Amino acid sequence: MFKETPITNETDTIIGPSVKVEGDFITEGNVVVEGMICGTIKTSKNLKVGSKSKIFANILAENALIAGEVQGNIKINDKLELTSTAKIFGDIKVGTLIIAAGSIFNGKCQMGTLKEKSIKPDFSKQEKIDLKTPVEPEILTEKKFLKKK
Amino acid sequence: MYYYLYDPQLSDKKYNNITARIETRLTDLGINGKINRLSFLKNINQLLFEEIKRGVKTVIIVGDDKTIGQVINLVADFNITIGLIPIGSDNNIARLLGVPLGEEACDVISSRIIKKIDLGKINNHYFLTNLIINGKNIALECDNNYLINLSEGNNTINISNLNYCYNSPTDPLDSQLDVFIENVQKKLLRKAKSTLSHFKNATLKITGDKTVPILINDEKKIVKTPAEVIVVPKKLKIIVGKGRYF
Repeated sequence: MFKETPITNETDTIIGPSVKVEGDFITEGNVVVEGMICGTIKTSKNLKVGSKSKIFANILAENALIAGEVQGNIKINDKLELTSTAKIFGDIKVGTLIIAAGSIFNGKCQMGTLKEKSIKPDFSKQEKIDLKTPVEPEILTEKKFLKKK
Repeated sequence: MYYYLYDPQLSDKKYNNITARIETRLTDLGINGKINRLSFLKNINQLLFEEIKRGVKTVIIVGDDKTIGQVINLVADFNITIGLIPIGSDNNIARLLGVPLGEEACDVISSRIIKKIDLGKINNHYFLTNLIINGKNIALECDNNYLINLSEGNNTINISNLNYCYNSPTDPLDSQLDVFIENVQKKLLRKAKSTLSHFKNATLKITGDKTVPILINDEKKIVKTPAEVIVVPKKLKIIVGKGRYF
């Protein structure tokens, strides 16, 4: 009955297929979802969503592997992997995204960290061109041309 | 000052030899004390209460898991240390605490490695190991944050503080209770399918039918719902061995 196994702090929270969770599910450890969740999921570690699971919640996690259905926004700090059975109806904000062929994703997607944003040219130093007021072209006569010189 | 409580089953002749050896070993180690042999006529709670009043600081339980379960609820509210000398067949608590069987346990008591461990509490009743709840239409409100609905099939809820279940030992030092939910679905002409869920919570509220049968320390009790289950961190001082599981 007893094996020589030490207790590890990284024990998973497992939400089995028979279980329905309603509310804010906030945890520090790894989470495996095989059942149904309504509300929010927050974890500072990894999240795994099984193929038969249904999630009606916003998700916040470090890494995630999704094989089931998610209706809600997803924010993953590092890596998100969607398998071929995954169905996502919501926006994704992620560091790295892997999408397998066959998965469904309906929503906006923002990838990469803030540092990797494209550098915009600084237009503030340039003189603004007023396009609204019409400027009549100046006709230079011979006299004016010589005066300018 | 040591106080020894002997389980009623130890009055049986077959235990005479082992109890004699234990007493000799305790005398050799210089930790002998008052011995009280429990019987079915004596009230264990009254006996303990009187001895604690007299100034007993360490209570050593000589017996098995059932004996410990009987004592825990009274001992929890006093500032005393508990020790175990396991005798008999049902000694899972002693194994988790790293206390060897019989005579060898005297050396563990003598070395006095004391740990402050958590205790579970259900409606003002303390438990050391686990609670088992069987039934349908049960809901668990966890940490006042989320609700676990268990409406389908037969569910067995195991709320553990110090236990070894589903191939993993639970940690009685983490200020949390491990909640295991096993669901068994039986279908005609097919093998029964069982699925397992696992949560970690500090507080739980059990709601559902008017009353729920609950196994507390292997003792069946009927508890009215809603029942509140909490973990009381570092409530019990207990002597442990080097081979403990936490």
